[in-house]
Amino acid sequence: SSNEHKLNFRKSKEACLSYIQDALLQKQWKRAAEFLTCYVESLEKDYSREHIGPSEIIWRIGSEILWHHSQSSMKEFNCFMEQMKTLGVKRYLKVCLEHVFHLLCNGQIDEAYQSLSLAESWRFGEQTAIQDKEMKLIQAYRGLLDYCSWSKQKNILLEHGEDGFSDLAVEQEMHGYFRKAAVNLKEIIKIPGVWDIFVKCYVDLLEFYGDHNEARQVLNEYAYNSKFPANPNAHVYLYQFLKRQGESKKSLISALKILHDIVPSHELMIDFNTMLQKSKKRKKRRLGLEVIFAALDYAGWKENAKAWSCLARQVKQIVVSEKHLDWIKQQWNSRKDWWPAFHFSRYLAKRNWQENKSLSYEKALVAGILLGKDCKYFKYVSHQGCKAQLRRFRMLKKFVNRHNTVCLRISG
Amino acid sequence: MEFPPTLFSSYFGSGPPREEGGPAPVAGWGEHGQVLEGGPGRRQVQPAFVPRRGATGERWEAAEAAAVPVLLPSADSWIPSPSPQDILYRSSLCKELRAGESGATLDFPRQLGHFFVDHPEDAFGSLGRLLHKNFYLGNSKLKVTVSRNSTIRMTALLEDIDRLEARRGCPRQHLASRLRWFSHLCRDWLFEVPLGLLADCLHEELVQQWSSLLFDDSLTGGALAWLPPEDGGTPVGRLVHPGGQAMNHLYFQDVLLEELPRARGSPEQFELSGRIRQVAAARVDGQDFVGVRSDYHCGVWRVSGKTGAAPTPLQVIRTDVPASCLTVSPHLPGELSVCTQSGTVYLWSVETGLQQLRHDPQTMFFRDHSPWRWSDFTAHPRVLSCADRTGLQCLDARAPKRCHFDLFKVGEEAGCQQGERVVLPMYLGKAHPSQYLVTTQFSVYVLDERLPLVPVLKWAHMMKAPPLFAQLMPGKPGRSHKVLLGASRTQDLLLVQYRGGSQSACQLAGTPQKLHSITECLQHLPTQLPHRHHLLQQRLAAPAAGLAAALQEDGPHKSMVVFQLSEAGDVFCQRLNHKAAQPPAPPLRDEATTAPGSSPLFEAPASSPQGLGAAALRYRRWLRALSRVCREPPQHTWPPSLSQRRLFTRRDLEGPAGPSSLQRQMRQRLRQTMQEGGRIQRWEPWALQPPPLPQTLELAGGPDPLSARLTAAWAGDWEQWWEERTSFSVAQRQRALRERRRRQKRARGRRSLSASFTSSLTYQSELSELSDMGPSLRSPGGPSILSQRSSPPACSPPVCSPPPSPAPDEALLSSQSLRCRGIPKERRKTLRDYLSVWAEGPPEPPEPLGSQASQLCIPSSQSQLSSASQPLRKRPRMGF
Repeated sequence: SSNEHKLNFRKSKEACLSYIQDALLQKQWKRAAEFLTCYVESLEKDYSREHIGPSEIIWRIGSEILWHHSQSSMKEFNCFMEQMKTLGVKRYLKVCLEHVFHLLCNGQIDEAYQSLSLAESWRFGEQTAIQDKEMKLIQAYRGLLDYCSWSKQKNILLEHGEDGFSDLAVEQEMHGYFRKAAVNLKEIIKIPGVWDIFVKCYVDLLEFYGDHNEARQVLNEYAYNSKFPANPNAHVYLYQFLKRQGESKKSLISALKILHDIVPSHELMIDFNTMLQKSKKRKKRRLGLEVIFAALDYAGWKENAKAWSCLARQVKQIVVSEKHLDWIKQQWNSRKDWWPAFHFSRYLAKRNWQENKSLSYEKALVAGILLGKDCKYFKYVSHQGCKAQLRRFRMLKKFVNRHNTVCLRISG
Repeated sequence: MEFPPTLFSSYFGSGPPREEGGPAPVAGWGEHGQVLEGGPGRRQVQPAFVPRRGATGERWEAAEAAAVPVLLPSADSWIPSPSPQDILYRSSLCKELRAGESGATLDFPRQLGHFFVDHPEDAFGSLGRLLHKNFYLGNSKLKVTVSRNSTIRMTALLEDIDRLEARRGCPRQHLASRLRWFSHLCRDWLFEVPLGLLADCLHEELVQQWSSLLFDDSLTGGALAWLPPEDGGTPVGRLVHPGGQAMNHLYFQDVLLEELPRARGSPEQFELSGRIRQVAAARVDGQDFVGVRSDYHCGVWRVSGKTGAAPTPLQVIRTDVPASCLTVSPHLPGELSVCTQSGTVYLWSVETGLQQLRHDPQTMFFRDHSPWRWSDFTAHPRVLSCADRTGLQCLDARAPKRCHFDLFKVGEEAGCQQGERVVLPMYLGKAHPSQYLVTTQFSVYVLDERLPLVPVLKWAHMMKAPPLFAQLMPGKPGRSHKVLLGASRTQDLLLVQYRGGSQSACQLAGTPQKLHSITECLQHLPTQLPHRHHLLQQRLAAPAAGLAAALQEDGPHKSMVVFQLSEAGDVFCQRLNHKAAQPPAPPLRDEATTAPGSSPLFEAPASSPQGLGAAALRYRRWLRALSRVCREPPQHTWPPSLSQRRLFTRRDLEGPAGPSSLQRQMRQRLRQTMQEGGRIQRWEPWALQPPPLPQTLELAGGPDPLSARLTAAWAGDWEQWWEERTSFSVAQRQRALRERRRRQKRARGRRSLSASFTSSLTYQSELSELSDMGPSLRSPGGPSILSQRSSPPACSPPVCSPPPSPAPDEALLSSQSLRCRGIPKERRKTLRDYLSVWAEGPPEPPEPLGSQASQLCIPSSQSQLSSASQPLRKRPRMGF
């Protein structure tokens, strides 16, 4: 009966698919390709109501095989993709996008651009939400390629400009690219998402044409719109833009303060700390100490000599001046139960001494101040340093011994 | 730590997942995802693009054709965990289970029955004792005595139940009225525990067992850990694994990483008070901390970095609710995090004890029934992540109520599918301090805690079962990080590579690669006997219980050793060698897949002087040890058939040690006929000598009554023979009866009630009932069941067990064989009578005149036989 036939057909289809899957997972591309040619038959009698139909399966597996098969060529791949595009209406845009990605990764920028333009003009009935998103992405990537062409022209012009020679046609072409790119890029960055690359390009365009207000607005929106994810890069771009614009310290600090609040372990925290330390305001210097302490909480900063030297410098300053010891004390209070084991163990003293002497110097200074001269880390490093007859380590020992009363006040 | 200057583009939505989900078999293939400008040549004329997925990865090739055992099987035999067959109603097993897991019918009555049989004291304790006198378990009819009115005979009831069992699945099944009557009468008062309550509890347990059979999350994390050797030292690491019959022994085994990892010395062993579910380990300050989780206890051990140092147990905690997670801090020595199924998360420090961070029986983002919770560490030593099936949140241990943020949500934020659930979160600190791995049943996600909610990497892993185990092997700068994903039930093992996270955005590198699973080695093993094959298959297909991996770098030669633990306690390993980027050389086993039986494992490699590969030798040893362990094959449960237990005990039916003389005779005849190229027309052994010569029978010890009778009839003086015989037999029978009564009187004092079971009278009554059973009994298949039962696999390995006896009824009927099977004399007759129902009264060889004391009974049995061969006569009864 036909029902039985359907059942058998489904079974053999599934078996075939599992063979293909097996071959793919073992990187047996030729074997997978042979099975796939059999699987194509499933297109003819597609009874499935599954989430992923056979046409999508063939597209996915086929492109995977063609990526890796030793005898496949770009031409074949393009041919396959063209066929796949016509196979499923619902997936047309998705397949186009993936095709473009592959062309881009293989350096075929012009073909990719053509493919994008074609896809952009595609219309079929009413668009679903997903198709809408895909269409926006297609437009955005076309904008990106337009930007690439623009920047190429710009470089040509700049080179020629040095020669004191300007080409009107090239310039006009460049402006054309600008307009096309700007329209498309502007659209996508309005939608919540991670659009680092598009935002960067768009801001670059705007800055070139002197539209700083628009650029600032775009970056502010990207960083502070609550519908967007908390992307650290958005704040970094804003900070970099403000820096380029020569904005005041105050606005730079406020931009970095927000970055500090969302990502205390960001690498810009060193810049932030130095900026704050230079400040004359007590509040800012206090914030600087907080920032560097917070950064050193993270495992990724454990061996960052620069950060340790920032902390050591500031802590030393405070100890020498004997002002604001309470700042250190406050920071230390929430850390004294775990920093000794996390940073200042004897094992780490040994390892740091072996691997990075200057790191161990900075850490030993901080340890000596925070934990006193009996701290294991300080004792080991200063002992090793004195044994190796290094002057700065002798100085360090003297310094800590001299300020031991202060140290006791902090740790007490 | 640096953050990638540009990330791959993605939409960011919020709310519940919109994409309709389902298992997608190929969803992970053929997609680049997104591209990003900024390849190696950034300042070139042409912009270069890199894909999110599809970049080239490292090439790792398996060194062996299959996974190889590391340790010999432990001496304790393994008890397989319940299989669907144990829990499901039999008829529903025939259908494929995948049709709908909820549609499975649980075999509730059988399990309840098991409970009554296994725990009679708990089930019927006091009433059973009270009613002890009123239940008669004998086979004889109750005599008219005082007790008659207050005693009921249970045997018939038991027979009814047996019959019911035998007819299970029969369309014409009807309830025996007697059973109905009995259950109606005593359902309310007989049971110690109220039946409704008991049934509720049992049902709940069954449902739970079934769901854990479908997906057992208590194994999450895996119970295998590898403590790597210290840098620069000898390549001796330590494998921490559970073992023993109940998996409640913890072993620390030194393993030498050679071409094939080899156990060195005997392991350190600890006996724990519960089945070990998870073993987690982390190295802090050169010391390894090993956390061990069982249901109600968690413990922590410390192993100092020196090779050969003994592990020190540090602390144990007990929980009221089963713990579902135990992770060891990679930052601070002696810190762990514990979660219980009640939704509590603790930070456990060996020095300061437990600190409760959260207590919330509800799930975090939306309602989900699963009590599973997980917790792990993050880049900040005081910030812990905690997870349930709906997502992950990070808590600051210093102010857990105030300071927290969402790291991952099953929803539109991460582009999840409907029905997707978190299966295993893992901190990837060794690869990148702020990275996190989250696996669901559909996908794997890599998260960066600096950019919460948006996965920096997502890939549909297409595994058939959700990955419960994951293992990270961090790559050095510029190389890819390797993540191994392992599933439990299907033993799937997948190697995924990714890179990036600091200078560049995260990318999947290369294609995922399937590694050998334990069960796959079966096809490479030498052909086994069917039952051994079955045992081996069962053993090797046991669900995986843990995963560990070691990366070994020996100059330019890099390799990875992957250990896999099965629920049977076996540890297998496989080595993968790194191939430096070469032009795509023809892969070794690309086109030709290995055919079963012919395996490269067991072929002699040209390089090996011994002739056989080390892997093959390892297998040999393992198989030998396994066969020693599994000397007793498990009892197979046959589909219920007509029960003959009432007639014979198992001992009765045990075959003689060697082939019987009859069998020997038959074999000889068969061999002879085959040599001659002839054929056997009739299977009777007597057909060898077509006319049954009386002389030969006399030689065997006097003529049997039938042949004597026939001889007499042949000679024409049959009447005289009959006269002689009746007078003789009456006298003899009287004598025998008298003797027997005397013996019974003597024995009555020490006989229990059930001992009367052996009296021949009951068998008479039983026989009459049996013969009422209808034609099914007379079917020619009947005796063959007997012969099957006569050689239970437990007593003798089937290798030397006799082939099914060609004439089972004859073989059974002969007195010698009955006696050597241990069937008591008084029952032999019943047996013969019973068998005479199917076989038309085979000739009875005369009882050999032995010197036994019970010899006196012989005449009586003879006379009864003669009565049985004359069905018209009334059956003799005791006390006639």
